[in-house]
Amino acid sequence: MKKRSILLLTLLTVFLMSCDVLDTEPQASLDAETVLVDGAAAQAVLLGAYSRMQVDPYYGVHFTLSPDLAADNARYQGFFDSQLEVHSGTVPISNLWITTAWVNIYRVVNIANLLIAEVPGIDDDAFATRDRVLGEAHAIRALAYFDLLRVFGYHFDTSSPYGMPLLLEPIENNDFNLIPDLARSSVAETYQQILSDLNTAISLMEGYSTNTAMNYWAALALRARVNLYAKNYDAAFNDANDVIENGPFSLVSSVDDLFLTTGTTSESIFDLVFNDQDGSALFIFTFQRDEYNVNPSLTDSFEEGDDRAGLFIFDRGSDRPAKWSDSNNANNVKVLRLAEMYLIRSEAATMRDNNPNAGLADLNVIRNRAGLADIESIGSMDEYVDIILHERRAEFNYEGHRFFDIVRFNKLGEFFGREDFRKAFPIPRDELQIQTNLEQNPGYPTN
Amino acid sequence: MRSKLIQPLLFCTLLLVFVPLHAMEANAQEREVSGTVSTATGEPLAGATVRLAADAETGTVTDIDGYYSISATADDVIIISFIGYQTQEILVGDRSTINVVLQLDQQLLSEVVVVGYGVQTRSDLTGSIASISADEIANQPVASLDAALQGRASGVFVSSPSGTPGAGITINIRGQTSLSASSEPLYVIDGVPVISEDLSGLFSGGQATNSLADLNPNDIASIEILKDASATAIYGSRGANGVVLITTKRGEAGQSNIGFNMYTGFQNITNQIDMMSSQEFLGMMNDAALQDNRDLGTDYSSTHVSDIWGFDPNDPDLQNTRWYDEIFRTSAVSNYELTASGGSENTRYFTSLSYFDQEGVQFGTGFERISGRVNLDTKVTDWLDFGTNITVNRTVQDRTINDNSLYGVVINTLAGDPLMPVYEADGSYADPFNYFGWWMLDNPLLIANEYQRFTRTVRGLGTIFGVATITDQLSLRSSLSVDYTSLDDEAYTPIISRESVNAQRNGFGNFGTTQDFTWLIENYLSYVNTFSGGHNVNAVLGTSFQQSNRNFSSISAQGFPSDQFLKLSVAAQVTSASTSGTSWGLASYFFRGNYSFDDRYLFTTTGRLDGSSRFGDNFRYGFFPSASVAWRITNESFMENQRIFSELKPRISYGITGNQEGIGNFASRGLFGVSDYRATPTLVPTQLSNANLTWESTRQLDVGIDIGLFDDRVNLSADYFIKTTDDLLLNRLIPGISGFSSVTENIGKVENKGFEFDIRGAIISGRDLTWSSSFNISFIRNEVLQLEVDRQVLNDSHILAEGHPIGTFYLIDHEGVDPQTGNMLWIDENGDGVIDSGDRRIVGNAQPDFYGGWGNSFTFKGFDLNMLFQFTYGNKIFNHSRASYENLGWSRIGIPGIFPLPDGNNHRLANDRWMQPGDETDIPRASLTNKNWREYSSRWLEDASYLRLKTLTLGYNFSPEFTQRIGMRNLRLYMQGQNLLTFTNYTGLDPEVNQNARNPLVAGSDFGTHPQVRTISFGINIEF
Repeated sequence: MKKRSILLLTLLTVFLMSCDVLDTEPQASLDAETVLVDGAAAQAVLLGAYSRMQVDPYYGVHFTLSPDLAADNARYQGFFDSQLEVHSGTVPISNLWITTAWVNIYRVVNIANLLIAEVPGIDDDAFATRDRVLGEAHAIRALAYFDLLRVFGYHFDTSSPYGMPLLLEPIENNDFNLIPDLARSSVAETYQQILSDLNTAISLMEGYSTNTAMNYWAALALRARVNLYAKNYDAAFNDANDVIENGPFSLVSSVDDLFLTTGTTSESIFDLVFNDQDGSALFIFTFQRDEYNVNPSLTDSFEEGDDRAGLFIFDRGSDRPAKWSDSNNANNVKVLRLAEMYLIRSEAATMRDNNPNAGLADLNVIRNRAGLADIESIGSMDEYVDIILHERRAEFNYEGHRFFDIVRFNKLGEFFGREDFRKAFPIPRDELQIQTNLEQNPGYPTN
Repeated sequence: MRSKLIQPLLFCTLLLVFVPLHAMEANAQEREVSGTVSTATGEPLAGATVRLAADAETGTVTDIDGYYSISATADDVIIISFIGYQTQEILVGDRSTINVVLQLDQQLLSEVVVVGYGVQTRSDLTGSIASISADEIANQPVASLDAALQGRASGVFVSSPSGTPGAGITINIRGQTSLSASSEPLYVIDGVPVISEDLSGLFSGGQATNSLADLNPNDIASIEILKDASATAIYGSRGANGVVLITTKRGEAGQSNIGFNMYTGFQNITNQIDMMSSQEFLGMMNDAALQDNRDLGTDYSSTHVSDIWGFDPNDPDLQNTRWYDEIFRTSAVSNYELTASGGSENTRYFTSLSYFDQEGVQFGTGFERISGRVNLDTKVTDWLDFGTNITVNRTVQDRTINDNSLYGVVINTLAGDPLMPVYEADGSYADPFNYFGWWMLDNPLLIANEYQRFTRTVRGLGTIFGVATITDQLSLRSSLSVDYTSLDDEAYTPIISRESVNAQRNGFGNFGTTQDFTWLIENYLSYVNTFSGGHNVNAVLGTSFQQSNRNFSSISAQGFPSDQFLKLSVAAQVTSASTSGTSWGLASYFFRGNYSFDDRYLFTTTGRLDGSSRFGDNFRYGFFPSASVAWRITNESFMENQRIFSELKPRISYGITGNQEGIGNFASRGLFGVSDYRATPTLVPTQLSNANLTWESTRQLDVGIDIGLFDDRVNLSADYFIKTTDDLLLNRLIPGISGFSSVTENIGKVENKGFEFDIRGAIISGRDLTWSSSFNISFIRNEVLQLEVDRQVLNDSHILAEGHPIGTFYLIDHEGVDPQTGNMLWIDENGDGVIDSGDRRIVGNAQPDFYGGWGNSFTFKGFDLNMLFQFTYGNKIFNHSRASYENLGWSRIGIPGIFPLPDGNNHRLANDRWMQPGDETDIPRASLTNKNWREYSSRWLEDASYLRLKTLTLGYNFSPEFTQRIGMRNLRLYMQGQNLLTFTNYTGLDPEVNQNARNPLVAGSDFGTHPQVRTISFGINIEF
């Protein structure tokens, strides 16, 4: 009987024992409130912004390839509707790429917003790079908003109301209920915000030239590009000129050396770095799979003797671009490189002076590097536009410029017979459904 | 690659068992045997049949006093039977008087039913519970028990999304309650809620692995399926999708048994796509060019394509590869099992060891399992019982990629070019890029044979429990259980594959592990008492604590010296490596009270308080109650004089259950994760917080009736239920300017309501011939009632919309083929003049109107015959595969005038296409352009209703006197067929298919999915 009592007592103890089984913690994540505590954490969050630029919808694949697919450099031969729609030039509001691009580019904006709001107040005396981190965050935000504007906004018309909704603060408490329902700012306001961020970045980052991050020169180069798009030709000329003349960059002598490497080059102003542990999917999409095959119109467009015509590999019945040829997907995305500065300076000079020959020297620098002879003179502004468009196509194909260039020069109708409203991609359906203040671009359905 | 050691081992064991056999001397002396037959209460049974097993002609019936007399030898077995009672067989031996007590056959209404934390007799139930006995599922040539449940019970929809050996099975009990959490039931084995999800990290297409295949189906004694809230609420936050209670076999006192069971058989696919020959294919391509002449004004010759390709369409010696024949085979399936059970009054045991080996019908697939079990019960003292259940097993699943993925075997076969051989003359695999068809990305035989993908699992499930009798009325049961899985995935993509060559990786491999350790401590008090005046009380009160810890690792490497290696140590470069882990916990308190008055009025109430680590701080604990009543009208005095109804029991139940499965363990937190840039770790925001996150709650009302007729010869059960799930865990769209597209939130509402009907009865119960039949049918309507954002387009073919069920198709629609032009009449839904994804509309859904099963079992003397038909009606399938093999000549990447290159071959149904004006057909004209081809269109939407002869078993039981003569207690030989006949209008491989088994929201697509298999097997059961 005694034994029975002891046993029953034991069992009852077990019965009444309350185990603390509910207290589990994630093993590979941190609670959001406990993240930004010191300078090292700020650095890690800053690098996180680059890590988020690497995702597939952004520079990792689609933002880099879609501008070529939406134009005449790539043709889509794979299975997915999303890319077929981009290729066909009729992008519906439910298109998967625009839906994911919106969110993922804004994710980068939000990381920058968090840093811009929190970094000045971080209590860490050893945080020596505070200004630089803050400057980089401003430059990153400018890049992200400019990329958003190019995809979704009327970047080609500074008088248009169709700019981007400008979210400049982090989401309070990480609470989704506190996300503001923003209306779109005008294109001019969007440009103003981008330029203001770049001005801040440039003022904070002097002397910082790490070309795998948005450094001082990258901010300047981006400002050159933004000013070119906004048709501020004076400013564009000056910024491009500053980078070319005062920056530590030089053109790579052979186009092969420029692309058949996995590292940065002397031409890199900002390379988004991919390595074999942290690869893009650009090789997979352009080479390994049979998806973004080269449009014969691109290969046919090269002049005789253009070295850049050799940057293709014929395999399995089709040409494939060699710009992303590392099979470990370790090719860097060349977000900003020196050749673009020459072509910006050429275009800005020409447009500023309304003189087709004003930018000829810079144009010829790029032609010469590709093994082509100088153009001696150009007869008209129209002719210059054809030549600069061709040159930019030959130089930057598969680097995410083509569609935007065609739109900038208002050639969408002429080249592809597309209606004007297709110069901007539609605001995604998902966003319109939940943001009452968000206005669709003209010409596209709203639900 | 797989161990075959165990097979010879089992054969040796079998031999040892047979060697000591010797025929017994027959004792032929005949004498008179007499006695009385009575009921358990001592009443004599008049009219009971008494006969000799050996000689059906010799027999007698008992007289008014239950007395009988029959002449028999000592070796004779007499059989005593009476309708409504269990038949007994008794060896005469040296006795001359044999008195027999026949027990009421309570199998149907009064059987014991396992419920959550206890057992009840069926007549006492107030809830809706379906029971499936071991006999119904034993010895079926399937890898897992869930596959054997198909068609057996109403309200239980079982579907094998593919025929991949060891693949996951979908079970929905009373509809799909959830949109983003799981709609699969909770599985409880011998009281332990087990891990039933896919633990493999290996990509292989849309099919999950099945962790329930870790259990040997032949170890199961019974399965109970809890359907209504009264039955499931005691499982609280995990009860909303129903609960499957699995009880394994246990030993019985005084009856030592050694059993050997085996079956072996062969399998092939249920159906094949009839593809065009090379000659027909070339003819169709030429026709495509000619049709374009008519429509597009081109000027192609009548042999335009075959001339360019350099073939003569009339050449009988053309290469003619039949790709489906090449990738599928007739394969073997077998199972060997040895069991021993028995015990003394104090200790009982059941042990089993079994080996199951299934070769896949598709090359490169297979499944193998070895499992052992020990179930022990012992009486320590008169007030304390101890027991243990231990099962350990190892499975090896060998698979290939399939479904909608680039390097699947079936998917690459779909439109396989018949002009391409499998092998070149030198024996190497032919490369599709050297042939005309565009579809194949690699040779499917190469993928099947040379890719390696293994998932190996070792799983142990162990429980130790004690039951202490505190007083006669009160007992306490305590148990400690462990569910441990160690799984490793190993994959290798060979150097010679296109996937490796295109990626320039020189072979690449992956090795990953998953370890899951789940423990459970449960304690509960049971109280049973009967008070004077007919008051019965039965109550349970307890606690349960469960915690699960899971660790993962994964390593990828590339650059292999040759395809003979699989291990990563030989690889030149590790490309990624990571480890991670996660955990969850559940703390619960539960009770159940049953009260009945005079066996007429039955009441049950249950409740469970669950605390879960998965949910937000604001809603960490939830309470799940239920209540039910039933009225046994047959026990009322006014029913005393009627003989029709043996049971008439209306019942009603209402309750609330929850669902917390399938949700991220930390979904309520605002989190930063770790990523990297420039080989430096970074911190990135990964999710926004939601402190209000909680379980989905399902309110269910069930109104039912159980009817027994003519002494329970016919039993009928009907239920109407309405099940509304609120607070659906859904990814709520949030403004993308936050950098996130969604958060998990409790929003939305879905409803399942329906009618279930079960009837079973003995149609003939003759002396030699019996026939019993059972039929069940369920009509269930699923409807999404409320969403945060209506009409969410889920993918290219599916939408989630209010007023429509889960699994609704959203496709470009058409009005058939224009008889004048042969072109598809696409519907320009948005009227913008172009046909694109903006023209999609709702065109049907993947939910059946009704489904069910019809089982029949016959016995005639020693023979038994069982058959089960199973059917579903009214569900649609998006036969995406047809988009490839009904391309009708579309030259996807070629240039029609210069070098046409179509996807590849077409099925022969395309011979019915439109050929000339006036043709009435639903297949448009051939064309080298894609005018009539829209990948995501209703052109591929088909009715997938089917009726299937699911199982057919013919067995012979040798008579006891024969088996005793050869020293056995029982000997049965049988043959069995699975999926022998299928009646359907579906044109794909098999109408039971789901390309994306992991996501019910996009159910009902078929795209390169491994088809179902037909099995014919032969088996033997021996008991000593």
